[in-house]
Amino acid sequence: MANTESLENVVLELRRGVIVLAALSQLGTEQYGYSLLKQLADLGLEVDQGTLYPLLRRLEAQGLLESVWKLEEARPRRYYVISAEGKKILPKMKKEWAGIVSVMNKMLA
Amino acid sequence: MNLIDRYVTEVGKNLPLLKGRADIEKELRSTLEDMLEDRISTTGRMRDEAMEIELLKEYGAPDKVAETYNPTPYLIGPRLFPMFIMILKIVIAAVALGLTIATGIQIMKQSPMTVVELLKTIGEWLLNIVSASIGAFGNIALVFALIERFAPVSEFKMDEEKEWDPASLMKEPEPDDVKPWEPILAIVVTFIVISIFNFNPQLIGIYSFDGEKWTSFPLFTDAFFRWLPLMNIAWAAEIILNGMLLRSGRWNVSARLTSIGIKVVQIAILWLLVTGPAFLAITPEALKATEIFDADSAQTLGTMAQAGIRIALGLGIFGTVVEIIKTGYKLIKQKLALSA
Repeated sequence: MANTESLENVVLELRRGVIVLAALSQLGTEQYGYSLLKQLADLGLEVDQGTLYPLLRRLEAQGLLESVWKLEEARPRRYYVISAEGKKILPKMKKEWAGIVSVMNKMLA
Repeated sequence: MNLIDRYVTEVGKNLPLLKGRADIEKELRSTLEDMLEDRISTTGRMRDEAMEIELLKEYGAPDKVAETYNPTPYLIGPRLFPMFIMILKIVIAAVALGLTIATGIQIMKQSPMTVVELLKTIGEWLLNIVSASIGAFGNIALVFALIERFAPVSEFKMDEEKEWDPASLMKEPEPDDVKPWEPILAIVVTFIVISIFNFNPQLIGIYSFDGEKWTSFPLFTDAFFRWLPLMNIAWAAEIILNGMLLRSGRWNVSARLTSIGIKVVQIAILWLLVTGPAFLAITPEALKATEIFDADSAQTLGTMAQAGIRIALGLGIFGTVVEIIKTGYKLIKQKLALSA
């Protein structure tokens, strides 16, 4: 029981670390929160709403995302898109990620 | 109001008081509507209350959802915690020292004492240390919690990460550098002052010895002690400022900003004292009552003391304003040097 819980916590930590990169990588074209959530899930990364929405707000506060409200189907939706600053750091994050994957693959081989 | 609206309102009630609360509620409502729409199209079911309940159950309890938006889910975060612990240790030690000195003076004043009186005094000393430590803990935690909430992270780097350069050992001390003993001394002295003013105010007075026993005459009236909570805040902030100086070893931008803030509070306290009722207990009537002075001398001395203390505080306000200007000037110079 304790082992399962520890494993869940570790996996959660691992996933939490990659969500920023995942979200930024998918916001080259503007998307509202739920569409991003579904897109990430379709690509195999299930993210909890309680994690994604506050994260989007945080990234916006850090200047990495921009957002705008649009009225669609009689419902307002908040669309997010990567900002100029976000575009600048995304390649660096990708490079960093590739480095981590390479190192970990070597370690776990 | 439907179930979704009620849920969103409930989440809103639990959101921290942050900018954009209405925005969060609006986005949450929009997301829930999207999710419901998605369910209708995938299951072919009609939207009904059961579907809404099912969705809201999955989304989570309103307080838990609101919690995820809390940018600071702790009272004192990891940025400030090491500093909090360091100051707390110094302060508790200073409180114990201050109360020990105060109790020592009390024992000397009341000696000779019976064993019962001595044990009672020691018991009171221990109780005072416990209650003063709890009080100090509360005050420091309050000030740190306020910094955690309201101080911008960019300005208040309590533990600046800078690369250490061995060549710095060769350099002459810079004007912004702080010698470690200065803030430590300031913290200890401030806490002795806090413990005396809060827990042993009877010690603040004028003492005289008639050859047999000590008698004391209180220095301040209740009008002075009514501003004690404000003074405690200024003293607690002073301790935090000295903790920052101790940790960074120099006057950085955040330390100078804190210093200006403290001086503004000090001016407010001085102003309240100057403009308020008499706070110095040395009045002509009180001096006459001591029977040390005759009526004329008591009148002259008492009047002079009342006028003198107000002039002194007025000069104190002027001096503090000058200090603020000096600190502000250094701050601007430092900011310009940093941006150059």
